[in-house]
Amino acid sequence: MSFAQTFSFGESRDSVSRFGTTSCPARPHRPPRSLGCPLGPAGWPAGAAARTGARCPAGRVFGFHFSFPGLAHFLSHRTAPGRGVQGPHLSRVPPAFPVDPKEANSCGSRRAKRAQRDGKLQKSSALCPPPRLSRNSRPWARAPQLIHSPGAGPALHVHTRVRGGLAPAAAAPPKSRPGSRSPLPAGKPEPMALFAVFQTSFLLALLSLRAYQSEVLVEPLPLTPESLNVSIDSAHQYLNLQWSVHSLAYYQELKMLFQIQISRMKTSNVIWVGNYSTVVKRDPVLHWSWKSELPLECATHFVRMRSRVDDAKIPEPRFWSNWSSWKEADAQKSLGRDPLFLFPKDKLVEEGSNVTICYMSRNQQDNISCYLEGQQIHGEQLDSNVSAFKLNKVSFIRKTGTNIFCKVDQKDVIKGIVLFVSKVLEEPKDFSCETQDFKTLTCTWDPGTDTSLPKRSSQSYTLFESFSGKKILCEHKNSCNWQVDSDSQEMYNFTLVAENALGNRSVSVLFSLTHRVHPKTPYNLFLKNVSGTKATVTWKVHPIGNYSTLLCQLDLLGEGNVIQQHNVSIKENGEYLLSELEPDTEYMARVRCADANHFWKWSGSISQKFITAEAAPSEALDVWRNVKSVSGRPTVTLFWKPLSKLHANGKILSYNVTVENLDRLSGLEVHSVPATANGTELTLDQDSYQIHVTALNSAGPSPASVIVVSGDPGNEEVEEERVNGTEDGFSVSWKPQSGKAIGYVVEWCDHPQDLPCDLQWKNLSSNTTSTVISSGAFRPGVRYNFRIYEISTERMAYLLEKKAGYLKELAPSDNPQVVVSNLTSHSFTLSWKDYSTDSQPGFIQGYYVYLRSKAEKECHPGFKKATLPDKSACCQHRIDNPEQKTFVMENLQPESVYEFLVTPYTSAGSGPLDAFTKVTTPDEYSHILIRIILPMIVCVLLIMITCYLKSQWMKEKCYPDIPDPYKSNVLSLIKSKENPHLTIMNVSDCVPDAIEVIHKPEGSKIQFLGASKSLTETEFTKPAYLYLLPAEKNYSGPGPCICFENLTYNEAAADSGSCGHFPVTPEALPGQPGPLTSPENLLKALEKNYMNSLGETAAGEASLNYVSQLASQMSGDKDSLPANPPEPVLCSEYKMQMAIPLGLASPPPAENSGLSSTTPLDQSEHYR
Amino acid sequence: FLLPAILCLLTLLLPPLSRGAPMSPAERITQAYNLALSMQENMSTLLQTYLQAQGSPFSDPGFSAPELQLSSLPPADISFKTWNALDDGERLSRVQGAFLALTQHLQLVGDDQRDLNPDNPILLAQLRDARLRAQGMLGNVAAIMTALGLPNPRAEDTLGLVPFGASAFERKCRGYIVIREYGHWTDRAVRDLALFKAKYPS
Repeated sequence: MSFAQTFSFGESRDSVSRFGTTSCPARPHRPPRSLGCPLGPAGWPAGAAARTGARCPAGRVFGFHFSFPGLAHFLSHRTAPGRGVQGPHLSRVPPAFPVDPKEANSCGSRRAKRAQRDGKLQKSSALCPPPRLSRNSRPWARAPQLIHSPGAGPALHVHTRVRGGLAPAAAAPPKSRPGSRSPLPAGKPEPMALFAVFQTSFLLALLSLRAYQSEVLVEPLPLTPESLNVSIDSAHQYLNLQWSVHSLAYYQELKMLFQIQISRMKTSNVIWVGNYSTVVKRDPVLHWSWKSELPLECATHFVRMRSRVDDAKIPEPRFWSNWSSWKEADAQKSLGRDPLFLFPKDKLVEEGSNVTICYMSRNQQDNISCYLEGQQIHGEQLDSNVSAFKLNKVSFIRKTGTNIFCKVDQKDVIKGIVLFVSKVLEEPKDFSCETQDFKTLTCTWDPGTDTSLPKRSSQSYTLFESFSGKKILCEHKNSCNWQVDSDSQEMYNFTLVAENALGNRSVSVLFSLTHRVHPKTPYNLFLKNVSGTKATVTWKVHPIGNYSTLLCQLDLLGEGNVIQQHNVSIKENGEYLLSELEPDTEYMARVRCADANHFWKWSGSISQKFITAEAAPSEALDVWRNVKSVSGRPTVTLFWKPLSKLHANGKILSYNVTVENLDRLSGLEVHSVPATANGTELTLDQDSYQIHVTALNSAGPSPASVIVVSGDPGNEEVEEERVNGTEDGFSVSWKPQSGKAIGYVVEWCDHPQDLPCDLQWKNLSSNTTSTVISSGAFRPGVRYNFRIYEISTERMAYLLEKKAGYLKELAPSDNPQVVVSNLTSHSFTLSWKDYSTDSQPGFIQGYYVYLRSKAEKECHPGFKKATLPDKSACCQHRIDNPEQKTFVMENLQPESVYEFLVTPYTSAGSGPLDAFTKVTTPDEYSHILIRIILPMIVCVLLIMITCYLKSQWMKEKCYPDIPDPYKSNVLSLIKSKENPHLTIMNVSDCVPDAIEVIHKPEGSKIQFLGASKSLTETEFTKPAYLYLLPAEKNYSGPGPCICFENLTYNEAAADSGSCGHFPVTPEALPGQPGPLTSPENLLKALEKNYMNSLGETAAGEASLNYVSQLASQMSGDKDSLPANPPEPVLCSEYKMQMAIPLGLASPPPAENSGLSSTTPLDQSEHYR
Repeated sequence: FLLPAILCLLTLLLPPLSRGAPMSPAERITQAYNLALSMQENMSTLLQTYLQAQGSPFSDPGFSAPELQLSSLPPADISFKTWNALDDGERLSRVQGAFLALTQHLQLVGDDQRDLNPDNPILLAQLRDARLRAQGMLGNVAAIMTALGLPNPRAEDTLGLVPFGASAFERKCRGYIVIREYGHWTDRAVRDLALFKAKYPS
């Protein structure tokens, strides 16, 4: 909502100032009615006289011609305002007089000063001071005021004149400023004073003369308004005036003009002046209202009026009556005692209008702030306690109204109002009327914005027809029905009035009824006799009047598009035959109608869908075949393309394949293939066959498609050519051969790498020798093979040419599997025979053979240096023949590592250069070595075999057995000759240091004669150390026997110092008897030694200890061995060495000492 | 959703006579206390709905105008000392008097808003609910007074002469004051009834 920040009351304010000063002196000097003469506006009788001359009653009053030049001059000055007041354009005058507001404002202060000076004048004056006269002129000025009522006028008159004469500059618009007080130049009153004195005396004489005259003449029409009563209508902000005019004695009615003045806050502050003309009847009470912009509650208003006869019955001159007295309209008195009031309450305005609101406070000291939707607004102070706000172009915010509130600062007073802003009532748009049956006219329009507010209904609509003068209130906001009475009225002039609480808008339309015919929607639309190509449409329309004809538009739509359009003129029933329809097609027939004579609007349309009947397929199938031999019998696969919807003319039910043998007379073979299939397979023999293929729908078969196949596949050996693919496809051309071709067929597979390969074909006419084969299935890097067949007049297909090509060649994606053979130290052979050149993404043009070796920096002849993608160098050899699939790598170094790679290349590039294969050439001399080593191995083997076979001989020769003394011949000789009791050695014969009795199992007892018999069972298990040193108590022998030990076998034993026998632990010798007498220390020492020896010898090793044993020549009884130790005798020269495997010396003595019956194997050898 | 709410409220409104056995004072106090709590819960929603429907300044965030008062409504504000010193009869009769006045004022506000906001059914329904609750509170307090043997003052027209010519703004303000005071009296009723609950344990 726009709001004037600097508020101004503009025009009305000017009016206030202007009229305030104008009327200041007038009010207290109301002319007494007794004066009789209907003078002009207050104070202007003289002026009027001057203007109207002798015709004015005043002129008659005065009775003489004004000849005083100065006065005449002055009076002529007054004519203008006099005319202005009298004339109907009075209200137009004030705006031409801008008045300085300061002057108006200074009114109060001057008045106060004057009040001190002259209380009488203050009382009689209005709220503004009288003209600023000089001190000298003041008595003069006062005199007429006191003497007769319009005295103020002359006073002002004089003053103005004086001012005009003396200060022409200040009175620049002298004619238009009757009441304004121009600043009087100070210090120049004297000449004027003299003149004023003269003038006063003249006027006094004049007025006394007039008073006399008034008594003499009869007042013609005493019509001054009487009983003026003013009331306030707060709801609508009206000042309601009521008054009466009396004394219409001579006339029944009289046209009168009333001039009304309205002042605000004080009578001098005239804010409005206007005329009201009406015919007054006998003793009437008249009413008139004035709408105030400023809420009437905020200011006291004053009203007065005067009247004038304005009727032709009364001859001129006509005069204004006297002003009525000011009547006050004060709404403030009834307001109560609230500290603050805000007006107007609940005002309803239209959006965009200007609204003035005001507040009135009881206390002038209050500081009041006002807000509109949260924003403070500022107004203009009208009075010490009244302020007004002018809201410009208020906008609609919400239906519940716009809140404006004021509050007194630092007091708990809030007052507010709600401004109900209604949307602007719009003019109805698109207003039109039409009839469907000449009985009812339906008028429709767009109502626009809804202007309803709470408790205030929306706008209403009234339809008025000017020719008939009828008027109806419309029930709906956007339509109205008007009953057409009869056929008599042809033309209509409708006016639609939209009205709400704030105003109305109207729109008119003039038309002829027959030009506004809007037929009803046709009905009963049917399709009859629908065949494959024709159909009859029928429909009905509602009749309009008796003679009117309707123009109907029949549309035929297929797939949403209008295919045919026909116009048909009908009265009531419509019918039309549609032709040129397609069989088995869905159509829609649509009909709408309009008045044929005066087109106004199409009716609504009615439509109906229908499907035409089926017809036999219109075209033969496009058939192709593929002949192959399956187990010796030619098998023909037939392919055909489904008929298009256009040619199928219905739903295909099945396909008929008729096979006729051309070589032999045999019956026709008919196959029925279901409609879902688009091909079939026939197994034939070597004869020629003619095959007819037809498609069947419910209406019949299609024309037959004929193809002839033969068991002989014909010439398949046709050179394959290459064809280049482009973006559009493959451009295939061929050379006609026979010249009798009836057509050509190009055949290819869309997916040659798949099975089935999706065979495609293209039929071409006989005069064609090239075509472009394109397919959405073609992909780059796939080889497509095209076969061009010529169709002979017998409808047999002969292969003409073969083409192969790529849409776009690509580089090979992988390399061939290469086999290395014939590897020698200087060469090897590469071969990739399995590599198929046909299934590659491009035509293979050859191969690259790459070779690299760390040993060789130079490339072999035929190779050139190349750089691989990983920037390593290698040698490259190119093979240009794609069919050459072997390569011999020569001139290699022996015992070298070579890496090779074979990759094919096409026009798009070569295969990947990634996986090199390593080959190591063999050594050059390796075969020589083999020739030497093999014979040697054979020789060695022969020798070994020989040795094995001759082992006994070898043993005898190389390592004969050591002779056993027991078996020696010498022993038997001794036995027999010298002493039969004497054995080889008797223990008692020598004195040993120690005797080690070595257990010998039972089997050995025989050999261990004496000793074994002397051993008891218990003794046998004990450790068998016999100490034979002289320390022994029973020792008695000479001890000549010396035990010695072969130290080469045991160094540890030698270290023991004495003739210590090498300690053979009981563990080592399980069968050894324990010592009979054995000092523990010695035993320990022995054990210790033994343990030492064990520590030096790896445990578990099968090493041998050799213990020497002394053989005595003396024989001894073995039974007496413990008791009688063998005496030392001459030791035999003979020593026996016994090997004891340490590995067998592990069993603990407690367990094995007495129980072991096993004998170490070596022991047996020991005794051998 | 309004129908169940109203039915629910009606059950609260039903005088205890409809029950089979007469209720003890404690039960009546508890019932009234529960009603007061439910009123308290709905208070802020009602006030917000009302203010939003009135437009600025009422709908401005944080709107509060404590200076606005209605002479026909007894103020809920009371010094603690005075409040504490109230005897049972006085305490209950003040609550009863307040809710009697509130019931009538809420009816007036509902009528005002039917004029000013006819297109806001939510607000109108909430105002009606508030009035029914106030009536329920009135009945409950009367029942407590009867149960406690306190003299039950006669209902009187507290609204007095209604300024039917009130302007739209005055009616908006009046509605605001009534709903605000309704909230204050509900708060006070909760405290009063809590006191009674403690005093007359079941």
